[in-house]
Amino acid sequence: MTTFPVPPVLARMIKMVTWAENALLILMLALMVLLAAAQILARNLFGISILDADQLLRLLVLWVALLGAVAASREGKHIRVDAIARWLPGRIKAGVAVLTDLFTITVCLALTWQAMRFLQSARESGEMAFGALPVWASGIILPLAFSLIALRYAIRLTHHVRQALGQEEPE
Amino acid sequence: MILLGLALIAMVLLGAPLFAVIAAVALLNFARDDVDLTVVIISIYRLAEMPVLLAIPLFTFAGYLLAGSRAPHRLVRITDVFFGWMPGGLAAVALAICAMFTAFTGASGVTIVALGGLLYPALREAGYSERYSLGLVTTSGSIGLLFAPSLPLILYGVVAQQLNIGQPVAISDLFLAGILPGLLIIFMLSLYGLWQKRGLQPVRTPFNIRDALASLRAAVWELPLPFIVLGGIYSGYFAVSEAAAVTAIYVFIVEVLIHREISFASLPGVMRDSMVLVGAILVVLGMSLASTNYLLDAEIPARLFTFIRDHVDNALSFLLLMNLFLLGLGMMLDIFSALVIMVPLILPIAVGYGINPVHLGIIFLANMEIAYLMPPMGMNLFIAMYRFDRSMLDIFRAVLPFVAILLVAVLTITYWPGLSLALIKH
Repeated sequence: MTTFPVPPVLARMIKMVTWAENALLILMLALMVLLAAAQILARNLFGISILDADQLLRLLVLWVALLGAVAASREGKHIRVDAIARWLPGRIKAGVAVLTDLFTITVCLALTWQAMRFLQSARESGEMAFGALPVWASGIILPLAFSLIALRYAIRLTHHVRQALGQEEPE
Repeated sequence: MILLGLALIAMVLLGAPLFAVIAAVALLNFARDDVDLTVVIISIYRLAEMPVLLAIPLFTFAGYLLAGSRAPHRLVRITDVFFGWMPGGLAAVALAICAMFTAFTGASGVTIVALGGLLYPALREAGYSERYSLGLVTTSGSIGLLFAPSLPLILYGVVAQQLNIGQPVAISDLFLAGILPGLLIIFMLSLYGLWQKRGLQPVRTPFNIRDALASLRAAVWELPLPFIVLGGIYSGYFAVSEAAAVTAIYVFIVEVLIHREISFASLPGVMRDSMVLVGAILVVLGMSLASTNYLLDAEIPARLFTFIRDHVDNALSFLLLMNLFLLGLGMMLDIFSALVIMVPLILPIAVGYGINPVHLGIIFLANMEIAYLMPPMGMNLFIAMYRFDRSMLDIFRAVLPFVAILLVAVLTITYWPGLSLALIKH
């Protein structure tokens, strides 16, 4: 693929976002593995259980899942039916991708908006997830992930538009 | 509304991510009923309230570590030394090892890529025909979905538990139910391997005790793995998610610290790649929790059941229709989305016909195993085409006998509930 002439500032920002996404994802997974193992050890060897570890582990599943979904968006690795798109010639394929990108961006923005409303109402009600962690804090990943997915699809969209116009080699 | 529906179907067919389409369905339907749309987000948040889901990232991480190490080499070597001399032995054990590997990695493409490339030359060298060897390695990706701890089995249990069908669907029961049907499939395909070898020169290398011991010693760390996982779960010592944690930490210690085949530098990459798969699966599950929520509110499964009952009068014809439907569906959808989309619709109907939900899960997955191989669109066919650099036609011809055998196996599994249910304690 030919490089896309993005302003260097923007390119650097995207790079930083990518780095942060990866770092957070890897950190969360490492924490999950270690905490799950520690919990089993504590339970079987000492007969104790680490306070709130089970709830935290379940919350980590949500975070890891959404961060994984963000990473999947970056690489176009979301589950989809490609029985038809697979056979389309390059520029038409890119044109179709423009449509599906726009659709995905719209849905993700709607989800981001609803997630913000969810956090807002959780904040007002002051509901607690567990321990000292309020629901709104545990759910911050929801609007964050959906807006990042929308961002990724917006970046893909710019490539697909250029491919459809023949200004860029199709993938 | 019909126009919107058609537009969404067009989006699916044109390749929009399924999670976005399912989310759109849920958002539109709830909006039409004037329900506050945060309900969709609340459904997704429920991903953090299901303890068993923890098993999915942990098993997937372990599977990716295994696939990235030289564990596949060690397993193939054992197969070769112990069974290479036996007529049909190599094929049989190759099938068993592929099944075990798929059960742990959950994704069939990984098996074809990681093991297929090693097994294919071994099979050819042992005198199996090119066509048979190619068919076996392509099929290898599908067998094993029925064995614990495969992700589709866990996911079926998770989805089924959301449905309030009045009967418990325990994941440990699903793990037990898959054993005999899974063995049946391996057995039938092994017989075909034996038949393939008729009249060929049997012995390539005689059995050599020193090689055998060396190959065992090389894999001494990996071999206990199925016993730790399965023994732990079946004996009731571990919950499913605990077994997943033990597996992840065990595989990490073996492949990263003992064998050192995955360097610390490449570890973040493996972690990220494995979570891309997890994210892709769980985000579809999360959205489908929202759409299932709507389906149940609108009593759609109950209405579907009334409709189908008027046209299909007994459980056997229902199952036959379902088999046909799932085979078609499985060519279009991958197993994870097929599970989260179709199980909420099919399971309540099946229960209405008096079919055991655990048995239905095994039927569902067995169908998906074949659908992956069905020409012209099965997913494994494409993976094999790229991996082995063959034309689609070559791959078709190679898998056809396997597909035929698997069809017989699926019909047996469908119409013989005892095979799936025998091991479950009542």
